[in-house]
Amino acid sequence: MKRMEFARFPALALALSIGAVASPTEAQEVWRIGEVAPLTGPAATVGTRLNKVAKMWAEDANAKGGIAGRKIELMTCNDENRPEKAVACARDMIEKGAVIIFGNALTASLRAIQPLVKDGPILLIPSPNVVPGADTYAFQVSPSDHHITEAIAAYLKANKIDKIGMVAATDASGEVGVASARKVFDTEKIELRLARIDLRATDATTQLARVAGSDIKVVYSSYTGGGAITVVKSFVNLGLKQPLVVSYGNISDAFVQLVKAVKPPRLLGTGVVGIVPEAMSDAGDRQRAQAFLEAYSKKYSERPDMINLLGKAAVDVAEAILKTPNPKDYAAVKKYLESTPIPSVHTQRFSPTSHVGLDASSFMILELKGDSWVKADPVQ
Amino acid sequence: MNLFAQSIISGLMTGAVYTLLGIGLVLVYRTARILNLAHGETFAITGVAAALFVSAGMPLAAALGLALLVSLAFAAGLHRAILRPRAEWPPGTLILITLGAAFVVRGLLILAAGTDPVSFPAIFEGAPVRIAGGAFPPQGIALVVLGFGASAGVGVFLAATRAGKRLLAAAENPYAASLLGVDVERARLTAYAIGGLLGGLAAVLLVPLIAVDFQSGLAMTLRGFIAAAISGMSPVGVLFSGLGLGLFEAMVGAYLGALYQDPVMFCVLILVALWQSRNIRFGGSRRA
Repeated sequence: MKRMEFARFPALALALSIGAVASPTEAQEVWRIGEVAPLTGPAATVGTRLNKVAKMWAEDANAKGGIAGRKIELMTCNDENRPEKAVACARDMIEKGAVIIFGNALTASLRAIQPLVKDGPILLIPSPNVVPGADTYAFQVSPSDHHITEAIAAYLKANKIDKIGMVAATDASGEVGVASARKVFDTEKIELRLARIDLRATDATTQLARVAGSDIKVVYSSYTGGGAITVVKSFVNLGLKQPLVVSYGNISDAFVQLVKAVKPPRLLGTGVVGIVPEAMSDAGDRQRAQAFLEAYSKKYSERPDMINLLGKAAVDVAEAILKTPNPKDYAAVKKYLESTPIPSVHTQRFSPTSHVGLDASSFMILELKGDSWVKADPVQ
Repeated sequence: MNLFAQSIISGLMTGAVYTLLGIGLVLVYRTARILNLAHGETFAITGVAAALFVSAGMPLAAALGLALLVSLAFAAGLHRAILRPRAEWPPGTLILITLGAAFVVRGLLILAAGTDPVSFPAIFEGAPVRIAGGAFPPQGIALVVLGFGASAGVGVFLAATRAGKRLLAAAENPYAASLLGVDVERARLTAYAIGGLLGGLAAVLLVPLIAVDFQSGLAMTLRGFIAAAISGMSPVGVLFSGLGLGLFEAMVGAYLGALYQDPVMFCVLILVALWQSRNIRFGGSRRA
């Protein structure tokens, strides 16, 4: 009888059933933030680093009562570095009402999820390899790979070097690196000697033999992850003496631990200046970078690295978005980001014509001395 | 630096890896008729375990020995606890079980060592030996000598010793072999154990030249499988297929570029598979 009465009042029944699932206040009092990150699989070393920063941010913000009165609910989805899985992750987050998605994934996954956010939410990208268009809701919080290559070219020019040997992987990230290198080095009239290396390779001596002749003063490996170690060890096994520059993705404690016993005579790397705060000219950026380095070290008992710093830039931009009057008004948020510098470990400056927040000036060539990365000395 | 000489050296080192991993797969296949997709995990387990033991302060030799024992225990345990009780299941299902075991190992390695690559010091250190303009690191020489040596030893063991022939007989016809007094289960367990040791040996010799992480296993299984498949699952043939693959990969990488490596190598694999299956295609007899 009661069921029949309910049936006579379908609107009431619907309202009650919705109320039973989630109260409106409960649903409104959290900011749902999506995070697509490879926590397992070949890119896990990147995903887990970015995830640590996102979790740290959410926990700290929630401990302080949330942002603009709402707590943060971080929805992390492991894409395993598989683009199809990244798409499923992003689709699910959008359906659940994510206001921001951290694209803490690699090139192929980021390219796959970009079309899903053409009407929002805001997608924040720490990877230098995917440059979002200025007509999209995607924002890149790192310098682009082009900028990184420009920083290398500037270092070479400053040292009057007009040739470079380069080893790049045969994956999507390697393709981006090769395209940037061809464009930038050609413009700067630096001769590029290039060799590609397969991701399964257990030896890189033939690649290095091709690109590291006696006339080459600097060798650059754009490889990140386990394969980067293979390049470094092969470099040492060949007895090469010139400085070896490794990719920004290797500026980490884990990498230092791996190479410290087999370090080339000079090991250089590319990285944001924030990794060496004392080298930063902007006092605000320097103070924020130092504060983050200390907070991260305290929380995780490890030194933050380059990827952690890019993750910090992403969460700072996210926090700025959540403090706007209506973070779900994506068009308004886009205008806000395009017109307002966002303070972070490096102040992010997006514009109506560029959704890349940093440029080559935020990047520098580092050198491993002892266990620490410092500003690189000149090539002798 | 001489590119050709370096390519030969690189090819020999890569070939030794192909061979060491291939021979373990062949050994298990020829005795248990199972393609063990968890074979490469013996490489990952040994590499990660040795790196953890060394970082915990254990002397290198003890760390390597203990890591090899862990690898052996895994391989033997996979057979004894998981595959043997299901021996009557279809081979396809058992192969899937080995794939599942590989993923379980991946998860356990992440828990044990995290997602970052790890490594341990070389057993044979020192300046590289210069040969015809190429550089051969001492650990690389050990990889080539011990890698091909151990693989050849297993090939000779299978082909020329009574115990080896028992292993092969256990696979060819288990019922006839058991009637003739061959302990089939013991033969299979021995095969898995030797396979585990060979995968572990590959890690002991190669990891100091590279690094290892939780996901290295399946990549190594693939390497071994390519060498084993091209050899027609022959314990002697895998020596030559591994060596050939290593040299081929190095030469293609040096003179054509790494982008050509996979297309060329897998075309060769397909051609060899077609050649090997010509009897099947022509109804069991070769076309005149």
